[in-house]
Amino acid sequence: MAEELAAQTQTTGAFGNPPPSGHPLIRRVMVATTVIFLTLFIVIPVVNVFAQALSKGVDAYVRVLHVAGPPVGARLSPAERRKLAAERGQAEKTWSSIRLTAGIAVIVVPLNIVFGLAAAWSVTKFRFKGRAFLIALIDLPFSVSPVIAGLIFVLLLGRSGVLGAWASSFTWPDPFSLHWRGFAQDWWPLAFTRSFTGIIFTPLAIVLASIFVTFPFVARSLIPLMEAQGSDEEVAALSLGASGWRTFRKVTLPNVKWALLYGVILCTARVFGEFGAVSVVSGHIDSNDTMPLRIEKLWNEYNNQAAFGVASLLAFLAIVTLIVQTIVERQTGKSEMRQVEEEGTQ
Amino acid sequence: MSIEVCSVNKTFNQFKALDKVSLKVETGELVALLGPSGSGKTTLLRVIAGIEAADPGSGPILFDGRDVSAQEAGKRRIGFVFQHYALFKHMSVFENVAFGLRAKPWRLRSKEAEIRAKVGELLQLVQLQNFAQRYPSQISGGQRQRVALARALAVEPRVLLLDEPFGALDATVRRELRRWLRKLHRRIHVTTVLVTHDQEEALDVSDRVAVMNEGRIEQFDSPEAIYDSPANPFVFKFLGSYNLFHARKTNAGDAVAASPADAGGVTFVRPHDIEIRRENSDGFGIAARINHIGFAGSLVNVELARIDNDTVVDAALPAHAYKDLGLKPDDRVFIRLRNTRSFDEDFSI
Repeated sequence: MAEELAAQTQTTGAFGNPPPSGHPLIRRVMVATTVIFLTLFIVIPVVNVFAQALSKGVDAYVRVLHVAGPPVGARLSPAERRKLAAERGQAEKTWSSIRLTAGIAVIVVPLNIVFGLAAAWSVTKFRFKGRAFLIALIDLPFSVSPVIAGLIFVLLLGRSGVLGAWASSFTWPDPFSLHWRGFAQDWWPLAFTRSFTGIIFTPLAIVLASIFVTFPFVARSLIPLMEAQGSDEEVAALSLGASGWRTFRKVTLPNVKWALLYGVILCTARVFGEFGAVSVVSGHIDSNDTMPLRIEKLWNEYNNQAAFGVASLLAFLAIVTLIVQTIVERQTGKSEMRQVEEEGTQ
Repeated sequence: MSIEVCSVNKTFNQFKALDKVSLKVETGELVALLGPSGSGKTTLLRVIAGIEAADPGSGPILFDGRDVSAQEAGKRRIGFVFQHYALFKHMSVFENVAFGLRAKPWRLRSKEAEIRAKVGELLQLVQLQNFAQRYPSQISGGQRQRVALARALAVEPRVLLLDEPFGALDATVRRELRRWLRKLHRRIHVTTVLVTHDQEEALDVSDRVAVMNEGRIEQFDSPEAIYDSPANPFVFKFLGSYNLFHARKTNAGDAVAASPADAGGVTFVRPHDIEIRRENSDGFGIAARINHIGFAGSLVNVELARIDNDTVVDAALPAHAYKDLGLKPDDRVFIRLRNTRSFDEDFSI
């Protein structure tokens, strides 16, 4: 009975002081277990990443990303020159992986915002046949192993795949090759200089695989909130003569903005960190390496310090994500509390 | 503006929410749709508003004789007020009220100064001029509903549709707001349809009441007519507590003294129409024993059991009458029935 009461106060009066729970010893043991577990499995590995990255000093850490040219007038032996060229080649590959990962995130995250909003909207604001099936389908990428997700695309778009014939002759321009051409030739001043042929084993395949793997994040973080909010506010806005777009912009979006941002953060983090699916569709071509793939290659080349150097960038990104996520969670908590309060006074 | 609904059907997954409903609301009238939950009253309101589409094959919905059934809600110029207010949480009271004005196409949109003046006027009307900068979470339930009403009135609706507007409020605020709505309606005189499941509210506030049950309108009449001459047992039962006698009233003096259920008729009597007497002077009274006495302020509820067949009869008498009689539990008394209503058809409780 007492436990029941405690549980109730915990769920209803959440944001005040936590309710006293059980024996102080139990509390201490629980807290200690959690702290030890987190230290062992999260804090130590993350600290280790930074320690390994800096194991050869700050200079070596910087050289992972940037190799300075030889000082002016210095004479290098052929061996030294080869070593410098190799180092510069490695740094260039690392930069290429960072550019590619960021570029993919720039494409994938906005697409998944649109898809996620559309999916959450249709599932929560309408009742139709097959709704439960659609919800299950949204969750599918969570339950499928990323490697399988990658394989699906290979089997679909690869040379002998179902859509292979079409896909392997599909030509698309490389967005990184967009440059200013001027108005001399045409009224349109921009042009691509390079293009890709085929889908699988090109960055486009990485984009597709990333979309597949990160699709549920935005939708999943929106669905519970939109379900709880119902559609009264939207109906009210429509009845006041607002257009559908205005209703979405002025009513729906502000109501879900924190949950949306939360989903976007998770989605971004996953795009940066995704390994399995991307690894399968990248074909292990150097120019297709995203940051996690680059880390693996460096590791396989026994360049541990450089591998940890790139890993430290991802770890840093994860820490930033964590901080932003905490802030956003606090905000969503606040807006949810406001809602609870409102319902309480009704 | 008058509203006419002609033979409208609405089904949700085989559930008939509206079954050939027809209704005509005159210009400037305040009509209440009254019924238990699931009777289709909210559905009817939403169909009038255009939020819900009637089934194909339904008759038209006429606003001032013009068919609007093909128009969407935003085009019908209606003001809709929800049970749970549906205020825009992230906007101030001012912005909530101004929403409809700002949502107009830019050619028809008023200037900012005009919008401000209009919103100020509306907030004055709902007596919330000092709350313009507050957020919905910072005001009380009654205030929120008034904001919702001001927001609906901002677009100068031809029809005001209220879906259980006081349903989420406590009893005192409810009564206050109901009075206020009545006053407001007298002032602005816009055709209003109000959905409620509270009979007292419906009878108190409206010009006419439509009692609904299982997707049909059982009776549509003035509050007095609905209360004094209900069309059928359902209406009688829904409008308040009642006593049921499985017998027909035989003549004016002798009410339903006879207990056997003859001819399948039923007779209803309201508790306050049961008279309690010490003496059976004219011989028409029914002998009963007092089971329980409960105080309810100005009225005293007396539960009696008939001596002959032990059926329970509820009576409600004014406190002074109760004092004059000096009733106590287990007293033997006689009851007389006033204003009985008999119906032919039999039905189960």
